[in-house]
Amino acid sequence: MGGRIKIFLLLTPASLVVGVLFAGGLVSALVQSLGYMPAIGQTTVNLDAYRKVLTDGDFLSSLFLTLYVAGASTGISTVLAVLAALALRKSSGRVSAVVFQLPITIPHLVAAVGIALVVSQTGLGARGAAALGLIGQPSDFPALLYDKYSIGIILTYVWKETPFIALVVLASLRGVAAELEDVARTLGAGAWQRFWYVVFPVISPGIVAASLIVFAFTFGAFEVPYLLGKTYPTILPVTAYNEYRGIELTSRPIAMAINILISLVTAAFAAAYLRIAKDLGRG
Amino acid sequence: MSARLELRGLSHSYARGDEPALSDLSLDVEPGELVALLGPSGCGKTTALKIVAGLLRPTAGDVLVNGHSVVGVPPEKREAAMVFQKSLLFPHMSVEANVSFGLRMRGVSREESTKKMEEALRRVRMEGLADRKPDELSGGQQQRVALARALVTGPRLLLLDEPLSALDANLREEMRELIKRLQREGGYTTVFVTHDQEEAVVLADRIALIFDGSLQMYDRPQAFYDRPVSRAAARFFGATNFIGGHAENGCVKTGLGELKLQSPTRPGEVTLTIRPEAVRIEGGENSFPARVASATFLGTQVHYTLEAHDTSLRAALPPHVRLAVGDEIMARLPAESLWALKS
Amino acid sequence: MRLLDKRRSNLGLALVAAMVVLPFVPLVLWTFAGEWRFPDLLPTEWSLRGVRYLLEPGGKVLSATLTSLLIGVSVALASIVVGLPAGMALGGYEWRFKGVVIFFILLPILVPPLASTMGIHLTFIRLGLADTVFGVFLVHLVPTVPYTAVILTSVFAERTGELEEAARTLGANPWQAFLHVTLPEVAPGVAVAGLFAFLISWGQYILTLLIGGGNVVTLPMLLFSAASGNDPVHTSALALVFALPAILALVVALRFLKPGERGGGRGFLGLGKVS
Repeated sequence: MGGRIKIFLLLTPASLVVGVLFAGGLVSALVQSLGYMPAIGQTTVNLDAYRKVLTDGDFLSSLFLTLYVAGASTGISTVLAVLAALALRKSSGRVSAVVFQLPITIPHLVAAVGIALVVSQTGLGARGAAALGLIGQPSDFPALLYDKYSIGIILTYVWKETPFIALVVLASLRGVAAELEDVARTLGAGAWQRFWYVVFPVISPGIVAASLIVFAFTFGAFEVPYLLGKTYPTILPVTAYNEYRGIELTSRPIAMAINILISLVTAAFAAAYLRIAKDLGRG
Repeated sequence: MSARLELRGLSHSYARGDEPALSDLSLDVEPGELVALLGPSGCGKTTALKIVAGLLRPTAGDVLVNGHSVVGVPPEKREAAMVFQKSLLFPHMSVEANVSFGLRMRGVSREESTKKMEEALRRVRMEGLADRKPDELSGGQQQRVALARALVTGPRLLLLDEPLSALDANLREEMRELIKRLQREGGYTTVFVTHDQEEAVVLADRIALIFDGSLQMYDRPQAFYDRPVSRAAARFFGATNFIGGHAENGCVKTGLGELKLQSPTRPGEVTLTIRPEAVRIEGGENSFPARVASATFLGTQVHYTLEAHDTSLRAALPPHVRLAVGDEIMARLPAESLWALKS
Repeated sequence: MRLLDKRRSNLGLALVAAMVVLPFVPLVLWTFAGEWRFPDLLPTEWSLRGVRYLLEPGGKVLSATLTSLLIGVSVALASIVVGLPAGMALGGYEWRFKGVVIFFILLPILVPPLASTMGIHLTFIRLGLADTVFGVFLVHLVPTVPYTAVILTSVFAERTGELEEAARTLGANPWQAFLHVTLPEVAPGVAVAGLFAFLISWGQYILTLLIGGGNVVTLPMLLFSAASGNDPVHTSALALVFALPAILALVVALRFLKPGERGGGRGFLGLGKVS
C-alpha cells in the first residue's frame, strides 16, 4: 500500500500542473464554447457556436487550409527525411547529429524570419535570380509569402521538421535495421530487395510515429502562419485567435468552439501516436 | 556443394593507425570440415568471420573459396550463410517467411521454397511453428529458426558467430548437438567462432587458436592438450603444469630430477608441460617423492597440489584415489605425456 | 565501390548542411548591413546599427531579453521540480494505470496549449494573474512539464535501483540514498530536461501574448513586431539574439554528452517539438 501512496504523491505536482492549467483550461474552453459565460449573464448552454462554426464557409476554408498546410508540410518533410537519413547513414554519427539537431533547437520564429528573407521578392533567392539574369525587378520573382499556397509557411515547417524525422529514422537505420540488413545480405538479398523487404518494414513504425507528431504539431501551431500567412483564409489557430479578440458577444464561444475542435483532432493524433509508440517499444 | 576455404594473410585494422584487429591470418578449411576460431573476447575472430562473409573488406590478404578469390564479391553473392549471437530474425515476418527468405530472394518458386522451408524446420525440430512471429518464440527456438534460415539455401559455407553465447547452459548443450548433427548430415564447410574452449573441443574437427589477431596454433583438439605450442596456448585450455629444465642426451634435468621424454629434444633450456590429468600417483620411470599440499573437490575430479623439491605441481585425479593433505606419496610424470614447449 | 559511397555520403552531407545554414545567411548579412539594395548579393555598406540597437542601454531589447531569461530560468527550475518526481513514478515503477497517466501527461505536447490557454484566460483575469510575469510563468509550465516528465521518465526507466540498494545495505536511509546516489546519477538527465524546458519557454510567443497582454514583453514579441515592420536590420539582429541560447545549448550538449545520447531514438518521444 505504501508503494501506491508513494507513486500517487510523486505524481501530484505534475498532475496538478497538467490537470489545472491544461485540462482545466480545456474544460473552461469547452464550457465557454457552449455559451456558458456567467460573467456576462449567459447561463444557458447551447450548441449555437458549434452550429455556426461547422456550417460557416469561412471555418471550412480555414479547416481545409490547415489540413493542406499540415499535410503538405508533413508529407514533404517525411519524404525528405527518409532520403536524407538513407543518404547519410554511412556518415559519422557526430557530424550528422550536429547538422540535424541545429534546426530542432532553433525557435520557429527565427526560422520563419530567415526563410522569409530568403524567399521574399527582395530576398536572397530573388537576388540570386537577378544575378543570373533570370529576373529584372522584385515583382518578377514569384510571391512565395502571404500567398495562397502558403509556400513560406510550408518551407519553414519543412526546414524545422525534416531534421527531427531524419534523426528518428537514422537512429532506427543505425540500430536494428543495420544488423538485419547484414543478415539479409548473407542470405542473398540485393540492395533493392534489402530495402523493400527488410529495412523499410523495420523503420516504418518510427517514420509513422514521427509523422504523426509532425502533423499534429503543424495542425495546431500558431506562430509561423500568423507571421507568414495571408490575412484570409487563416489557419484554424489564427482564426480562433482572431475570433477571440473579436468584440461581439458571440465571438468568444466561437473561438472556444474552434479551440475544442483543434484539440479533438490533435488528441486523436496523440492517441494514434501512443499506440504505435507502444508497439515500437515491444519490438 | 560444400566448398574449400582458404584464408591467406588476412589483416585488418578498423581505422588507420589503430591496433590491427587481425594480423596475417592464414588457414585452410577442407570441404565438409568444421573449424572453430577460438580465442578470448576481442581477439579478432568475429572480424575474420565477417571478412569471410563479405560484411567487411580486409585491409590486406585474401579469401579463396574453391581456389577463387572472393574478396571483391559482395556478401549476397558469396553463398556464405551466417548465424549470429542474436538470432536476428526479421521481426515483421513469420517463422515461415524468415526461413524461406533466402530462397525467395533467389527467385525460387513458392511451391519449392515451401517444401524446402518445411524440411528445414523439421530438421531443427520446429515444425508446426511456421506461422509464429519471432517475438513469440524463446531464445533457443529463435536460434533454431535462425539455423534453419541459414541452411535452407544450401550454402557453400556456414558461418556461426558465437551462436550459443546468449543461451542458458542447459540449452547450449542441446543446441551443440543439433549443430554438430546438422553439420555432419549436410557436410557443410563450417567456421564457428567461440570463446569457450569446451565448445570448441566438442564441436570442431580442427581448432584455430587466436590471440590478439594472430594465429597461435591450428590443429585437432587433442593436440592442444598433448602438444600445445606455447604457454599461453596451454593455459587457455585450463591451468596446467610447466617445468623448467635443461635438456641433454635425450633427458631433461629439472628440479624434480632427470625426466625422460618420449622423443628427444634439442639440447638447451627448455620448458616441459604436462596436463594435471596425466600426473600419476605411483613409482617407476620419471617418478619422485612429493607431499600433498592441498586438495579441492570438484565433483568429477579432485585437484591436488603436490610439492616436491620447491616445485608445485597440479594433479587432477578421480575421486576414488583418496589422498589427504600431508600425505607423502610418489608422483610420476609419464614420458608420453610430457611435452617440450617451443621457446 | 567504397570510395564512391564515401563521396556520395559527403556530397549528401554538404547538401544537407547547406540547407540547414541557408536561413542564417540573410540573418547574419542583414544584421551587419548598412546599405543593401536589390539586386545586390552582398550589402554595399556595412554598419553596426543592428548591434547598437541590441545593446541600447535601457532599451527595449535588453529588458525584453532579461524578462525572457527570468521567465525561462524559473520555468526550467519549476518544471524540473515538478517533472522529477513524475519521472521517478513513471520510469521506476510498474503499475496499473500507467498508460493512462502517460497519455494524460503527454497531451500538452501534441494538443496545442493555445486552446487551453485561451480557455483559462478568463480565470486568470479574475485571479489577477493576467498581464503579470507570474501568470506568464504559469502558462509556460503547460508545454514544459510534459517534456521534463518524459525525459526524466526515460532516465529513471534505465536505472535499476541497484546502487540505491547497495547504499541502503551500507547504512544510508532512503533520503540519504536519494541525495547521495540517485541525484548525482540523474544529474545529466536533469540538466537536459532543464535545458529543454528553458528553450521551450524561451521560444514561446502566443502564450505570452495571450496571458501577458502586451504588458509582459519578451524577446519573441519584440521579434514578431519587428518582423511585421519594415526594418530587416532590426529584425535580423533580434532573430540572431533569439537564436543564441539554442545554438549555445547545442554546442554545450555536443561537448558534454556522447553523440549517441542526444540524437538517439531511445528518447525520441520527447525530441523535436522544442520550439
